Amino acid sequence: MAFIQIVDLEKYFGEVRALSGINLEIEKGEFFTLLGPSGCGKTTLLRTIAGFYRQDKGDVYIDGELINNVPAYQRNTGMVFQNYAVFPHMTVFDNVAYGLRVRKLSKEEILRKVSAALKSVHLEGYEQRTPDKLSGGQQQRVSLARAMVIQPRVLLFDEPLSNLDAKLRIEMREEIRTVQKSLGITSIYVTHDQEEALVISDRIAVMNQGVIQQIGKPWEIYVNPQSTFVAYFVGKINMLTMRLGESAGQGLRRATSGNFSLFVPAEGTEQLHEAIVAFRPEDVAEAVRHDGQNTLSGTLKSVSFMGSVARFELDVEGQEITIDRYRPREADMPQRGASMSFEIPAPSMLLFDPNTGVRIGKGAQR
Amino acid sequence: MSAKVGTPPKHRGPRVDMWTVVIFAGFAIVVVFLIYPLFDIFRYSFLDKVTGSFSLSNWKTFFSKAYYLRAFWHSILIALLTTFFSMVLGIPLAFFTTRYRIRGTNLLNTLAVLALLSPTFIGAYSWITMLGRNGFLRLLFQSIGINLPPIYGAFGIVLADSLQYYPFVSLMTAGALMTIDRSLEEASENLGARSLKTFFSVTLPMVMPSVTGGALIVFMMSLSNFGTPMIIGGNYLVLPTLAYNLFTSEISQTPGMASTVSIILMLCASVVIVLQQWVSSRRKYASMLVNRPIVKQLKGIKSFLAHLLCYSIVFFSTLPLAVIVFYSFRKTSGPVFQPGFSLDSYRQIFFDVPKTVTNSFLYSLTAVLLIATVGTLLGFVIARKRNAAVRVLDPLLMIPYMVPGTVLGIGFIVAFNKPPLILSGTATIIILTYFIRRLPYSVRSAASILKQIDPALEEAGINLGSPPGCTFRTVTLPLMQGGIISGAIMSWVTSINELSASILLYVGKTMTMPIKIYLSVADGYFGTATAMSTILLVVTGVSMFIVNKYFNRGSEVFVSA
Repeated sequence: MAFIQIVDLEKYFGEVRALSGINLEIEKGEFFTLLGPSGCGKTTLLRTIAGFYRQDKGDVYIDGELINNVPAYQRNTGMVFQNYAVFPHMTVFDNVAYGLRVRKLSKEEILRKVSAALKSVHLEGYEQRTPDKLSGGQQQRVSLARAMVIQPRVLLFDEPLSNLDAKLRIEMREEIRTVQKSLGITSIYVTHDQEEALVISDRIAVMNQGVIQQIGKPWEIYVNPQSTFVAYFVGKINMLTMRLGESAGQGLRRATSGNFSLFVPAEGTEQLHEAIVAFRPEDVAEAVRHDGQNTLSGTLKSVSFMGSVARFELDVEGQEITIDRYRPREADMPQRGASMSFEIPAPSMLLFDPNTGVRIGKGAQR
Repeated sequence: MSAKVGTPPKHRGPRVDMWTVVIFAGFAIVVVFLIYPLFDIFRYSFLDKVTGSFSLSNWKTFFSKAYYLRAFWHSILIALLTTFFSMVLGIPLAFFTTRYRIRGTNLLNTLAVLALLSPTFIGAYSWITMLGRNGFLRLLFQSIGINLPPIYGAFGIVLADSLQYYPFVSLMTAGALMTIDRSLEEASENLGARSLKTFFSVTLPMVMPSVTGGALIVFMMSLSNFGTPMIIGGNYLVLPTLAYNLFTSEISQTPGMASTVSIILMLCASVVIVLQQWVSSRRKYASMLVNRPIVKQLKGIKSFLAHLLCYSIVFFSTLPLAVIVFYSFRKTSGPVFQPGFSLDSYRQIFFDVPKTVTNSFLYSLTAVLLIATVGTLLGFVIARKRNAAVRVLDPLLMIPYMVPGTVLGIGFIVAFNKPPLILSGTATIIILTYFIRRLPYSVRSAASILKQIDPALEEAGINLGSPPGCTFRTVTLPLMQGGIISGAIMSWVTSINELSASILLYVGKTMTMPIKIYLSVADGYFGTATAMSTILLVVTGVSMFIVNKYFNRGSEVFVSA
């Protein structure tokens, strides 16, 4: 049995079904992320594990123990809150010592453990500060130290970085990752930030409308999404609904939309007349010639310069398609209204059933 | 970090935590000390005086005899007039003190609140010393040939009530006026409206919900006020004094008529409370305070007139208090004031009736401890544990809002002078009256403080292994402290000044200062009355000062708490 096991979990708020059919297995020491848009149920799931909510159906096991009836204060899960929840009437030291005092540890032991915890989050010397004298990042470090000092069976992170500014967010996520790995504490991390999830996690569960859409390593989630929702939510992707035509050999099939056609992977499309053809902007290659296979032309509508990448929004026969150019140079930048040609390699395409949104075929090659 | 950290002791089985006990206690309090006495009144109103069987005779009597119906109309009239005059005094005061630079605005507010919080019967009594049959102001006016109308009756009640209660309107209106976005008024002027037009078409409509809210509180207070009409009303009976008179004359029989009048009074109060809830639930035009209104500097005669107006209003509301304090230091001989000054009256209190003073302090202190503790726990349950039971309990706890003191007093007597629970004649019943009357305020204020405390803090405590009760003690309570103490001080002020219920419940050994003051006035021992009133005023003033100074609460807190 996995270290944390969640079986057929269901949770209602009144009439609203917040979670349904949740099944998860998380291994000891793993950094596991729940990713999804707001209202998808990720925080509800986290709070159910912490014991703040009682599920309506299903079981939660930690380390082989069924914890459905264990009250929150006996679950030994350390939680890091979105708004830090640092006790404003206590010093940094007292905040971190709180859980140890509840556990009636000796003074010396508390002092030793708190010092070690503060050291690991780089807050030595802040022991006697009060929270109102700390920045947001420092408060979140206190929150992290406080949660991990009790050596919980599992660390729970509830969007811990969403209140921090962009630069600090990147710093903190690396720090969280380092501390977690060095202590080896199993962690469940909730976020709506897909980039954060990709960077920090061992595995990710993408959630939508109370249901887990896909579980996998960051690589799998990005490269091999199993539904349009996952493909759309993680990273930028182009999606075209196309009519499927005759087979073109070499495992390809012709697909048309309006006045243009593409050769798309045929695998698994036998029963279908239509498919959603998806491809990521970075997989599109700008083409010099206009007549290659899967080469399209479009009119440039807008350019977003993002530093390492320039992102072009093109109008291709009334369809909007986004393509990326790496290491852009100012001198080479096309003007709005310019015509651009590009090639979409068939192996990078992902096909989805337009009725169910489910992936067709196996994997994209990357 | 490798040593084993102990886990808290485990316990399984049904989850009966501390809050289940609190919710249960909340229901017990409501059932025993509210529903049971109120139901008893209800029952008595349907019992025939002679036969003791079910009958509508009391209700028929009430609606057929002019004597009873008149008291009903008197009550409505007094409450309406008081509300009207409170608005006449309160709105201009609020407008001038918030929009123009008036020197000493803080002093004005403090004095107004002091008058508001002082016992109603003190103000009423003071107006008698000024405008009564031999009142010095009456004599003064008579000497220059002006005959003032008699103070006893409607005129006196409305005068005393309006000058006491107008701060409800002025403080709530001022609060709203200070939070209107300046740009709205500027927009109106920019579109070509003159300032007077702007005031009536933009400013006034925006603060109207607050004005109405304050006015309804005044109506309610005036409707259920017992002290003022009792002292100054003479033969002009209103519902609370009628209920009191009926009850004291029915003492040997079933209090059928008193109960009927009580129910009618309670129904009137309920209507007002429902109206008030409706008004306060409607949208308030609070803004983000980006553009606070400008405080303008008036020049010359305009400035003088504005100052004169504001100071006059506050002067006339503080005057009764000043007169009382002044008289308390006059020489007395028995009931009669003599020329010159002395501490005779105070000496008399401490030699003759020291028990009254200690009773007042002891009862109020005990009640406050109860109110603060129970109110905080119930407030927590209401703010944080909204299960089905709590949703039922919440409105039940607000019942005391609509039970005037006189009604509660009658209810307590009829319910607790017979088994299973006999409390009549004890100090406990008086303390319980204070407790019940103040409980809804305390619960509400605790709940609203809690709404400002992030629930994640409590979750953090629980998550770190601290059981709910322990988390409440170590996290929630320390954060609520300031609010609880300032609320407790407010409860202290209202408890020590309570008259309308305790006057029905006291016996010789449980007499309190407000009761003694009332009796002294009735017996003509004005020296004792003024000295004791001064003691109450000092207690009230000091309490206010502490709240202002140590808890950084503005004057509004006295209106809302």
